[in-house]
Amino acid sequence: MIFEVIEQSLRQPNRVIPVEALLGNGDGSRMPEVIAAQLTPAIAQRLVEVCPTAAFRIEEHDRRARLRLSYGECIGCGRCFERSEGAVVAAKSFYWCGHSKDRLVRVWDLDSRTEITPLPAEPKVARGQIHSLLGRALNIRQLDAGSCNGCEAEISALTNPYYDLERFGIHFVASPKHADMLLVTGPVTRNMAGAVKTTYDAVPSPKLVVAVGACGCSGGIFAGSHAVVGAVDAVIPVDGYIPGCPPTPAMLVTGILEVLRRRIAK
Amino acid sequence: MKHEEKDSGTLRMGENYSTEGAVTRPLAKDGTPARLVALFGSLGQNGEKHVHYVFDAAAPTYLEITLTTSGLIRSISLEVPAAAWYERELHDQYGVEIAGHPDLRPLIFHENWPDGVFPMVDAVEGVPWSNREYHFLEVQGEGIAEVAVGPVHAGIIEPGHFRFSVVGDTVLHLELRQFYTNKGTEKLFEGIFVNAGTMVAESVSGDNCFAHAVAYSQAVENACRVDAPPRASAIRLIGLEFERLVCHISDVGGLCTDVGFSVGAASATRIKESLLQASSKCCGTRYWRGIAVPGGLRFDLDSRKILEFSQAVSVAARQFSDLAQLILNTPSIQNRFETAGILPRDVARDLAVVGPVARASGIDLDVRRDHPYGHYDRVQFEVPVTHYGDVMARARIRIEEAATSARLIQETANALPSASVLVSLELLGELHGSSAVESPRGELYYWLEGHDGRLTRCHIKSPSFQNWPAMPFAVADNIIADFPLINKSFNLSYSGCDR
Repeated sequence: MIFEVIEQSLRQPNRVIPVEALLGNGDGSRMPEVIAAQLTPAIAQRLVEVCPTAAFRIEEHDRRARLRLSYGECIGCGRCFERSEGAVVAAKSFYWCGHSKDRLVRVWDLDSRTEITPLPAEPKVARGQIHSLLGRALNIRQLDAGSCNGCEAEISALTNPYYDLERFGIHFVASPKHADMLLVTGPVTRNMAGAVKTTYDAVPSPKLVVAVGACGCSGGIFAGSHAVVGAVDAVIPVDGYIPGCPPTPAMLVTGILEVLRRRIAK
Repeated sequence: MKHEEKDSGTLRMGENYSTEGAVTRPLAKDGTPARLVALFGSLGQNGEKHVHYVFDAAAPTYLEITLTTSGLIRSISLEVPAAAWYERELHDQYGVEIAGHPDLRPLIFHENWPDGVFPMVDAVEGVPWSNREYHFLEVQGEGIAEVAVGPVHAGIIEPGHFRFSVVGDTVLHLELRQFYTNKGTEKLFEGIFVNAGTMVAESVSGDNCFAHAVAYSQAVENACRVDAPPRASAIRLIGLEFERLVCHISDVGGLCTDVGFSVGAASATRIKESLLQASSKCCGTRYWRGIAVPGGLRFDLDSRKILEFSQAVSVAARQFSDLAQLILNTPSIQNRFETAGILPRDVARDLAVVGPVARASGIDLDVRRDHPYGHYDRVQFEVPVTHYGDVMARARIRIEEAATSARLIQETANALPSASVLVSLELLGELHGSSAVESPRGELYYWLEGHDGRLTRCHIKSPSFQNWPAMPFAVADNIIADFPLINKSFNLSYSGCDR
């Protein structure tokens, strides 16, 4: 019997996706990417109308109209792809995650059709750098503050043989007392608010908190509900944000490493 | 599924009916009591409260009984135990008093919610924080200890609270406390446009998001008396079976994790990931989010890509079938799975349990076969049923269903109808519709009312809400260390239950 089990595991090829192919990979995320050259005021107006969570907004700055996109609010529904005449497409690469909510926001000038936000440096973390970032060990405690379990499914996927988070020295631990980082998903519900605070207090300092998913970043589709307190940072201090609904495993890896890089650079 | 017309099937009692309104459980043609599908409230135009009882009396369509009440109804929980949580929910949401209910403690709202605020009736802006008391049932006697677990559990799972009363290792009684992830979802449907409702439905239970999107869309189509075009129905079937396949593979892997069989667990996650990546290639999303809408699909999928997808599914299904044989033949697995967590058939029937859990306890029930919707009347399949009711039975049911799902995907992908995938809907006037779908966890039922394209009420009966109360019966008399395994074998969604 045991030989069959060993044979089964030996027959499997190595499926690990190299880290270079993961970082910034936006496949399957359905996050919007704006083609600035195609953007017109009329299209921008339509994007604002069609977006269910007000991720797209039009602002005025020095009497010039600007289109503002906040990934923290985006639930990746793709309604904007349809109504944009090709000005918005599904992102192939995605780096918009990190240590502050400002990092999730992009702005375009509608008159000149150019992006005003500085583009993020591609977080090409070399293999050696990962080890120096983590010292070969980061313990993560995942905390569901009221999520729909979409984010949980993708976070669990991080431990499968394709993403194999353990190769970076990242482990998921059972107790907040063993954790360096809290990965918090979901809008914080009224019924979970107390438990979220208790869990935060149980994590020894220094600690990192990362809000995951549209709900964790902004409340997402549940913002404003009577049973929801709000985004994670409405209840506990947050050090990093990973948008997406749900964020793909590649986005999670990118985000976790980016939050660490920023933290160490500070 | 077509809902019975009001005049023929639905009994609507007048407002002058006694305040202690009561409904008796209808009988099926063969004399067996009908199965409770859902029980929920709604508000009439003049603020009067309606209570809706939906039964499955083994007829082609469900039977809906509507009661209008001034605020007091008689409980049916003693006759229909499956109604117990529904009546507590009704009490919490609408403030309807339920005479004769054995346990009317708050269900959805916890200590933080003030007395006398009913979100489906009252304004809910700035509800103050409260500090009410909540009493767990106390099991008394010599040597009985209480073990409290949660809401935050060890691992990447959702929150819920379990209160065990144990003697040594053996569980005497398990009391559940759920609804930590209650997000007021049913209230969020109120006032939004029908098309926007899909996005809310998709966020009820993330791993079953496509089943929710389809059930919601079908309920709207039912209200408009139209069917989705054949191609859309066929692609929906592929998506629904894909979701079932992924969910069942993941569950069998999870069972391996809970007994420490790492090879099985890792292999299952690998097969699951290969499916999610194939889905991402086929339709740009790993979980089929944002595809189904009322009237059909938001966009058509390329037939060639669907064929590639179905090939990936067939490879994955073959690998899973090999893996399943390995798992089932492993003596340590047999030792842990067999006779663990037996859910007796009579308990399953009393609590109107649905889905693979019901089929593992000898209840022959599958919405796809009993009430065919969409493309399901064009495909042939067997519904596996077994009477053992233990963890092994639930695992076997899932393994068999996974194979069926893969076959249905291939058959449908090979004979996809052509033409459009979206019909326009006439949304003016009163909307009243419902729909049931066999989600991976069992019967999922949406009921909605609206006016001129905006929803006024949407009730979601999720299979998890129905099945959670049955779990403690399967856990009793087992050792507490087997609880994670039994829990996993039920695989209930917390968010789907809590909504």
